[in-house]
Parts: sequence; structure tokens; C-alpha cells
Amino acid sequence: MNEHEDINASFEEDDHRAAFVFNLSSKDDSGKPYGRPPKRRRTAREHATALQKDSPSGPAFPALFGGAESPECVKLRKDLFETAWPVLENRIQHVLREANRNTLDEVTSFLEQAAEADTGKLTAGFIITGPNIASQDLLFEQLAERLSTATRARFVRLRASEAPNLKAALKKIIRDATVRGADEEEDEGVEITQGGRKYLDYDIEALHVFLTQQPQQQQSRRVVVAFQDSEAFDSSLLTDLISLFHSWRDRIQFDVLFGIATSVELFQARLVKSTARQLYGAQFDVAQVNSVLETVIKNAVAGTHAGIRIGPSLLRSLVERQHNQVAGIQIFVSSLKYAYMCHFYANPLSVLLAEQGRLPRGLLKPEHLEAIRTLDSFRNQAEAAVEARQLNHAQSLIEDDEYLVNKILEQGQKRQEYLLHLLRAICLVEATGLCSASFTDLYILALNTGINIDQPLRTVSLEDALKRLNPDEFVSLIDRLFGAIRTGSPELGLDGWESDAEEFVHSLTELRDEIDGLRERSKSNRTTLKSKYSAQSRVMRTTVVAQKVQLSQDTATLTEEDKAFTNAIDALIMLLSQDLQCDPIDNLFLHEVWVFDSKVPYRDVFVPPLGATFGRALSRPHDYLACACCGKANGGLAATLPTTAILYHLYLEAGALINVADLWSAYYALVGEESNIGLEERSALVCFYRGLAELRMMGFVKQSKKKADHIAKLKWL
Amino acid sequence: MARKKSLTQAPVPRASKKRDLPDDPYEIPDEAETPRRRRRLEPISRVNGNLGDKTVDENGGKSALESTPVKRRGRPPKSAATGTPKTQATTPTGRRQGQVAETPVRRDGADTPSRRNIADRSARRKSARALIDRVIGGTVSDDDVEEGDIAREIYESSEDEEAEADEQVEEGEAKESTTPSRTPGRKRKTAGRKRSPTPPRDLPPHEQYFYQNKPGLSKTSNNTLSSLDLLTHDEYFSILRQLKDPHAADVDFLQSLHAESFPQWAFELSQGFSTCFYGYGSKRRLLHNFASYLSSQDPSHKIVIINGYVRTLTARDILNTLISALPSSLAPASTSNPATALQALLVNLTTTTTTTTDNTSSPPTVAVALTVLVNSIDAPPLRRPVLQSFLAQLAAHPRVRLACTADTPDFAYLWDAALRTSLNLLFHDCTTFAARAPCELEVVDEVHELLGRRARRAGGKEGVAFVLRSLPENARALFRLLVGEVLVAAAEEQGNHDGLLLGAGEAGEVAVEYRMVYNKAVEEFICSSEMAFRTLLKEFHDHQIITSHKDSIGTELLSLPFRKDELESILEELAS
Repeated sequence: MNEHEDINASFEEDDHRAAFVFNLSSKDDSGKPYGRPPKRRRTAREHATALQKDSPSGPAFPALFGGAESPECVKLRKDLFETAWPVLENRIQHVLREANRNTLDEVTSFLEQAAEADTGKLTAGFIITGPNIASQDLLFEQLAERLSTATRARFVRLRASEAPNLKAALKKIIRDATVRGADEEEDEGVEITQGGRKYLDYDIEALHVFLTQQPQQQQSRRVVVAFQDSEAFDSSLLTDLISLFHSWRDRIQFDVLFGIATSVELFQARLVKSTARQLYGAQFDVAQVNSVLETVIKNAVAGTHAGIRIGPSLLRSLVERQHNQVAGIQIFVSSLKYAYMCHFYANPLSVLLAEQGRLPRGLLKPEHLEAIRTLDSFRNQAEAAVEARQLNHAQSLIEDDEYLVNKILEQGQKRQEYLLHLLRAICLVEATGLCSASFTDLYILALNTGINIDQPLRTVSLEDALKRLNPDEFVSLIDRLFGAIRTGSPELGLDGWESDAEEFVHSLTELRDEIDGLRERSKSNRTTLKSKYSAQSRVMRTTVVAQKVQLSQDTATLTEEDKAFTNAIDALIMLLSQDLQCDPIDNLFLHEVWVFDSKVPYRDVFVPPLGATFGRALSRPHDYLACACCGKANGGLAATLPTTAILYHLYLEAGALINVADLWSAYYALVGEESNIGLEERSALVCFYRGLAELRMMGFVKQSKKKADHIAKLKWL
Repeated sequence: MARKKSLTQAPVPRASKKRDLPDDPYEIPDEAETPRRRRRLEPISRVNGNLGDKTVDENGGKSALESTPVKRRGRPPKSAATGTPKTQATTPTGRRQGQVAETPVRRDGADTPSRRNIADRSARRKSARALIDRVIGGTVSDDDVEEGDIAREIYESSEDEEAEADEQVEEGEAKESTTPSRTPGRKRKTAGRKRSPTPPRDLPPHEQYFYQNKPGLSKTSNNTLSSLDLLTHDEYFSILRQLKDPHAADVDFLQSLHAESFPQWAFELSQGFSTCFYGYGSKRRLLHNFASYLSSQDPSHKIVIINGYVRTLTARDILNTLISALPSSLAPASTSNPATALQALLVNLTTTTTTTTDNTSSPPTVAVALTVLVNSIDAPPLRRPVLQSFLAQLAAHPRVRLACTADTPDFAYLWDAALRTSLNLLFHDCTTFAARAPCELEVVDEVHELLGRRARRAGGKEGVAFVLRSLPENARALFRLLVGEVLVAAAEEQGNHDGLLLGAGEAGEVAVEYRMVYNKAVEEFICSSEMAFRTLLKEFHDHQIITSHKDSIGTELLSLPFRKDELESILEELAS
């Protein structure tokens, strides 16, 4: 803390220091701003004071509507965000931890068993983690937790970058195994010495001594060494470590775990056979990324716990990124969080998400209503009202603030109803077991186009699939629907809704009873029960002429039971189409309040076009500077451009090897005394130097030894 | 002339196909070439025209494109007329030479056939024979058409090459004559074999790369900067101080636009994200302003700034600053190993969530949090993976926030997936166009290094004094000797050149003979063996306070990379 006094050095001095504690010694504006240009400084300051006046804890949100938003609303938005996100985050963390549970159990029990059965070999667990090294961290963290409690073993995680050679690896192992122990025991500070002499820090003997010195109840001579990214380790290093561990086996019980991205076979091929023989191993699989993603989506995106809805197009691009790039589930979670942040930070209407009690009417200011009236969904609503000849309704919407506020408050309830209905419908569609699409696809489709049983899901529509049912499937389908209604979906946070769907359940029960009766009868008649549709589907495959003939034959052979069955199917389709019918999400009035579907912030912030940004800045500086002088250049070369931009243009035109003398003469011809800029030669040279140095710093050029005064091009943006 | 268009049965599509697939995939079809080729062919077809077996229409409106193959096709019959079938094997050559005389363009072309030309010629001969046979035979079956096409293609392709070679010569001449304008000459020369002088525009970057890296294509002029007086540090800074950036106001405005995002960035940081500001221009001011903003928001918040551009930056620097920023109760027990010390620090930070109450000075219940701002996270000193994982470890801690700036377009390759996850970065386009401060970018050194002129050396005479102070007595003596000799040599040279004044920058060029210096050093008992002498010189080399090179006859020369006045003051200092 004493450093503060001597860090009253000026900004300029700080420049040359590698690292320093930033200290704003003068808390008020009167203080000298350390050679900082006053203008810029003021901008930041004004901003700060205007927006952040009464925010004692954490950065507050800025007031929207050009600052006209009331502080209560700002605070409400912030509160809403702070209540909405943590719920989800917990759920997601839970899901991720649960996903690894099986693997953890297996690994633990394997290590226990192996310890009991004395194999004379080194116990090795091969954990197939898949290519994404980002998600391994959590797994190994959990393993460390689990194993250190379950087996009281010391757990050491090794990454290839931390252990480039044997010495470094051993140092790290010994350090981690001993340090962590010391930490747990409240700094007992066991100095590991051998008659007063210290061990070398890569001597396993030190570890051995340390382990034997442990208090009795904690004594455990097990050390689990986990190689997180085994592919990245040098195979000779692995071999050395394994044989070393093996030779120490009688004193310290080493177990090894390998995180493997490819396959055990490939891993084994990298080891010397004699080394491989020292291992006694088993293979463990980690939950597939896709299934984890699906669970996360169910829990955090689609589930009832989600505060806002991620719109279909954003969700699709997030999911696609997961599939196409090895982005890792963490990125998905971050993106999700960022969507929440964007929504509550920048959408003034997000206050409407507050629960009824928390949203006093007075909070809605004319600005809110005005904003609402500019929404697409508002316009759609008004137009629909006009078309439906509800002119009063339309007029009140547009003119009567009070009326609109009432309508807005009603929407909260409607939103809940809609979402509940949507989720139940999706749940039922899944329960039919007739659609091959994954839940994610189904959900995105439902948001995008609504649910309609005659729309195709992947290949066949639900309606067609229903028609092809045979009686047994029919009954089991109805049973599955019952099951879904009764239990709901815990993942989605959906309770059973038997009481809400009495009518539906009743009709389904009737249908099932009827089919049961029909099945009985047909069994006694020794005929098979079939429907018009199943017969027809056979006809479809024949020729046109035959179709007619056969069709008539077929219908002729339909028995009374068959006809009844056909009717039952029709009834079921009717019932489902009514009950599952669901609108797409953007049909809803005021969906903008609770749907976030903008891809732009996501893309800018997570997958920015880096090269293009630099290229654009350098080739079209006017886009950023908006200066009076460079507008005419329009992406071309102009003498007024910043030096680096001019050089960049010349650079683009040049080949792979650039003669600096020519570059200089070209530059000087452009800005020199004869041009309208009229830079004196030495000044131009100074600019030229700066531009060139910047190009080099940004990695565009490097020195070339091919010719004197030549530089080589390195970047093609 | 009209008769040459007689053989219209020549397949037109073939002609167009040839245009679509130029032998160079990067070539843009150039209409300008056609007239030339036509001109070259006209005389031939004039001779051959009357041998055409079918006269169809005399449509003068036919495009030049379409007619080209026709003309070609008309040619072989000439040899058919001159030679009997038996002597055909030899005729084409003769005919070819005759042709050369007729074609005006070829006169300046190189007549010596390259090896490839010879190889081609035999193929050409065969194909010519096949064409002749067919014409004489008169009957054209389907098979023949196909065969004929192949034969013609061989025939034509070799002709194309010749035409190309001709054009290249012409183009080369044209290039030589162009005055060096503001588009440097080398640009055109990279076009090399290309028929079109302008390189193709709007190629995607990867295509551009392959286009520009075609082997043998990078022809640049032999101009050097020798006529230009390179800038010295002093001159650079004195001029720089007078220069005014015409965009200063716009740059400031841009900066103020970025500054409006401060609350947003602060919010993002508070939510556990790290932010990364990228884009062209120095973002040091911006980050500094951001730091002031953050600390104005929450004065108790500790902010550590790391300057990645400082070349001597190490993990230990960062660690020590972190420790000094945090309450001393959190300091790790040992700091011998930065990586472990950081781990310990972070563990301490986690465990002492609310134990700040024992600290009398800090306000109660305010959790210790730390913001780390990194300038130029992609600067060379920070590019080492160790440091990046160090920072990532820091950023992954829930109580530590990290914001960084990046200057190169490909900084994203610094991190693998695991690092990216622990950094949890959000990117913001913060193109500032601000000029880089001298501390960020040593312009003169960078450029000279780029030009391979003068390597980074101990800065000026102060640097030399500093270096010498750390060296033994005899090394100092040797350097004094060397400086003296160089000054004497410079004075002599100045005398030789009489009135010609020695340029300030050229003093370094004055060199003394290695042997001579060694002998003098032995005389003055500075060293007893050449071995020892070399060792001393090596020390100087390491600090880059001398340079050595060999002249044209192999004599080793030593020189000092300093100006005359600098040398004089060094000598004074050493003598005192």
C-alpha cells in the first residue's frame, strides 16, 4: 500500500514503465490531468458525472431515450438483469457439472478398483475428451475435486505448455502435490529436508518424504497426475515420465490420467511398446458436446426459467457456430449472457418484463409509449385491428395512452400463456416420437414459423406420420402424450399440466378406449386393423392406372373396424392440430420487449472481422475520421490521407517485394513540395518513417535480405 | 483479304474456349492483344488464302476473335503446296523460317530457339503435317475433325508462346521508358510474363498472395536509398515536434466517440468478461482515459496498467505490481517463481472474500477487486505463451477484470481455445488513428532495422559510457584507442577530400584496419594475444558499439556507429 506515495510520477514517466498501479491522485477535475489533453478528458468526465451520479455499487446502466429515462427505470432494468441472469447461470453450471458426472464416477471407481487389485502396473485412465480443449478445464477441475476427496490422492494437472521437458514436468508435479497439501493444512510449512539439506526441486524423493511426513489420518501415498492435452506432450517425455512413475511405484502410488482428443489407439502408437506395457488402463468417454448443448438449450434458452427469449435467427447462428467451429460450450454460454446484457442494457422497453407488482403505472413515461408505437409489432397489431374493423380499438391504441398502458400490462399475462403453450406443444410433439428433428431444431422452427402439424419437420410432416400409424403405435402414442402431460419436462422447467388440459386428456382417453375396443374386435375377427391411409400409402407406389384400380379395391376391403380406426386417426389429427397450433414468436404484440434476436452485437463482439477492420481503416480512413479533406478519395489514394494509409495503398499495389527507395519516391511525389500538400522533404521523410514503422509494427512488412533497401510483404488482408 | 475468311468451318467455340482459359489463371483476357496477333498473321493467310478448299461466305462483319483460328487454319496448305508428301517432314521448318522474314513483329524477337522451343517444334511439325494431310486428303471424317483440333491446338499454342515472347520484349522496352511516377516501376514489372501491364484488381486476398508470390515475378528496380540522408533520432524528434497532424481534431473526435462506450465497457468488465480493443492507431490514451473513468467510478478500485510495448517486460514486473496494488495481507509467501506466486496470490484473493475488515484503512465490506489494463497485448514482449497464460490465469479469476488493446490484425492467434475461454474476451473496434507515442514505437530504430541499416545499439554516448563502466579497465583502454584511431582516420580523410565536408551521418563509415588496431593494442599492453583482443571486441559487438566489415580485398575493418562530435565527447569522457 505504501507504493502509492511514490507513484505520483507523471503520465509520461509511466509510459516507460512495464507495469504500474494506476493512480488518479486528484479526485476532482481541478487537479492537473497529467498532460492528458483536456478536451478528451472532459468528455470522459462529463459522461461519468451525467450517467453515474448515484450508483454506489457497480457500474450502473446509462439512461436511454437520450438520457430522458427516469432513474427508477434504469435501476429496474439493472435489477431485472441481475435477477434474470444468475438463475440461468446456476442452471447452466449445474447442467455442465452433471454432464460430467458419469465420467467422474467411472474414473473414480476405476482408480479405486485398480488400487485394490495389485496389477503391478501403472494405473492409467484414458479420457476421450474430444477436440475441444476449452471444455476440458471444467472436467479436470471436477476430477481434481472428486479424486482428492474420494481417494485422498494428490491431484496434479499438467498441461503441455507448462511442462516442456522432464525437469519442468517433475518440478511442477512435485510443487503442486506438495503446495496444495500445505495449503489445506493451514500452512503447516513442512520443510522437506534430508538431514538439513534441501532436495532438488525435481527430485521425487522430496515428494516421497513429504507424503510420509503427512499426519496419519491423512496419509495417502497416491498421486494422480493428469495430462490434460496428452497429444501436445512430447512422446519421449511421456515415455520418460511413465517409466519413472513405474519405477517409483513401490514407494509412491502414481496414477495417471490422459485427456485424449483423438483416440487411444493413436495415443498408444506414440508410446514405446515397453512403456505401454507398464500401463493398466481403461477408456472413458465424456458426454458428447451436442447432447450437452441440447441440455443447456433446454434448460437455459427454451425453459420457463429463461427471462427473455433468444430469437430464432440468433439462436440458429449460435448453434451453428457450435457445430461448425470447435467453439466450446463456454462460448455459447458467454454469448447467451451477452444477449441478456444487451437486452437489458440497451432496450428501454425491457422494464416491461418486470412482474406485475413491480411495475407501477407511473413508471411508464410518454417516451416508453412513443417507443412502443414505433414497434413493428405495434403497427401489425394496429393494422390487423383496422382490417378486422375494430376501428375503435385501433384508434385507442394509437391515441389513448391510458388504453395502451392497459394493453401493455395485459401483454405480460399473454406472454406467459403463449410461452407455456409453446413449450407444452413442443413437449407433446417430442412425446409423439414421430419427428426426427432434435429439440433445438424443433424449438427454433417453432419460434420461427410456429407449430403446425402439417408443416414438414425435416422430411415428413407430423400429420403424415400420424396417418401412417398402426393401432398399436396409436395407443402407445396416446400413452406417451399422457405421460408428457402428466410429468411435463423438468429440463424445461415445465410441470405437468393435467389439470389445465382436462378436455384434451378426456378426448384422448376416449380415442384410446375406442381403439382398444377396435383392436379387441379385430383380434376376434382375425383381421388386422388398418386405416385408409396406411392402405393408400401402399397404392402410392404403383402406377397411375393401377392406383385407381387398387384404391377402389382397398377401400372396398376396409372393414367397419378399419373405417372406425381411420376416423379415430382423423380425430386425433384434428385434436392435435388444434391443441398444438402455435404462432411464430414475432406474430405477438410487443414481442420486442422479451425477444432478443439481433445478431449484430453478437457477431461484432465474439467473431469480429479483424483483418477487414484494419484493412478498412487503412484503405478508407474517411469512414472513421469523417474529415473534410479525405472524403473525396473514396477508398482511393489521396495526398491528404494519414501517412500510414497512403503507404498502405502503395503497399497494396506493390508486389511481394517492395523497394523502399521507390516507395519513398512514390510517397514523396504524392505529398512532396510539388504536390498540393507541399511537405518539405525532411518532414515528409519523418512522416514516411512513422508510416513505415507502423506498418512494420502491425506486421505488414519485414526486412528482406534479397536486395538492398527492400522489404518483404507479409500480409494480404 | 476477303478470301482468308473462307475456312469458316473452323470451330468457333474452340476459339472462345481458348480465351476463357488463358494459360495463366491470373490473367485477365486482354482485348488489346488480338489486333497484334492478327497483324502478325495476315501476311501468312494472304499467301495461303487461295489454297482454301471451300469458299463459303465472305462475311466481313465477323469478329476478329472468330476469325483468328480461321487464319491459322489456312496456313498449312502453303507447305502442302511447296512440298511433296515425302518431304513434308522437313518442310515446316523451312516454311517457318520463311515466315519469320515475312512477319515484321518477329524481327526484334530472339531467334535462338530455347530448349523448349526445340521440343515444341517437333510437336509442331507433326501437327502441321497432320493438318496438311487432312487438307490434301480432302475428306474430313468426324475422327479427323477431332484429331485435327488437337493438332491445331498444338500448332497454335506454340505460336501463342512466340507471340507472347515478342510482346514481352516490347513490353519490357515500354517499361524501361516509363518515367518513375508516383506508381513505382516495380509494380509493373511484377507483372512479368503477363501480357497485361496492370495487375488484376479486386482479387481475394489469398489469390493476391499467390499472384504476387509467383516465382520469379518479383522484379523491382535497383534504386536504393543511398542518395537519401537517413534520419537520426535527433533530427526525427526535432522535426516531429514541428509537424502538425491535419487530422488531429478528427482523431480527438473519434476518441471522444469511443469514450462514450466507457460505461458499456465497464459493465462488460463487471460481468466477468474481458474486453479487447483492436483497430488501427494507438489506443494508449484511450485505455488511460478508461482507467481514469473506472477509478472515478469507484476510487477504491485498484487498477494496474501493464505496458506491453516496453521491451523489458517480464512476468515478474507484472507480479510485483499486482502485489503492490493489493493489500499486503494477500501477498504470496514466496515470489521466487512468478507462476506459482501468481497462483498463490489468486488463491489468497479467493479466500479473503470479506476479510478486509481487519484492514483498518480500507472501507469495510468492500471486496478487493482488481482491474488489469494491458496496453498492446500483442506486443513482442507479451507474445510469449508463458505470459499469455499468465494473463489468462489472471483474467479467469472472478475478482480480476482485464481489458487489453491489440495493435496487429492477427492478434487473435495469440490464444488457443483454452486461453480464449479463460480470457472470455469481447472485442471492440477501437480504431483511433492516433499517432503512436515514442514510448510505444521507436520509429527511427524500427525503420533502420527494417532497412537493415543500423541495428539497435546502446543509445548514444551515454549508452557507451554505461557499457564501458561495466567493462574491465583494458576494455575501456581499447575503446579509447579505437575512438582515437577512428577520429584520426576521419581527420585524414577530411584532409584528403580537402574542402569536402564530412557529413555528420558518415562519420560512422570511417573505418580503421583491424590489424593496425591490434598491433597498437599490443603495443599499449592492452592485450597480449589476438584471442584476448577478439574477446574484447566481442564484448563491444554484443553491445553494438562497434561494427566490423571486410572491404573488397578482404581486409577487416572496424568502425564506430557514432557521429564525429559524439566520438569526440566519448573520447573526452574516457580520457578524463
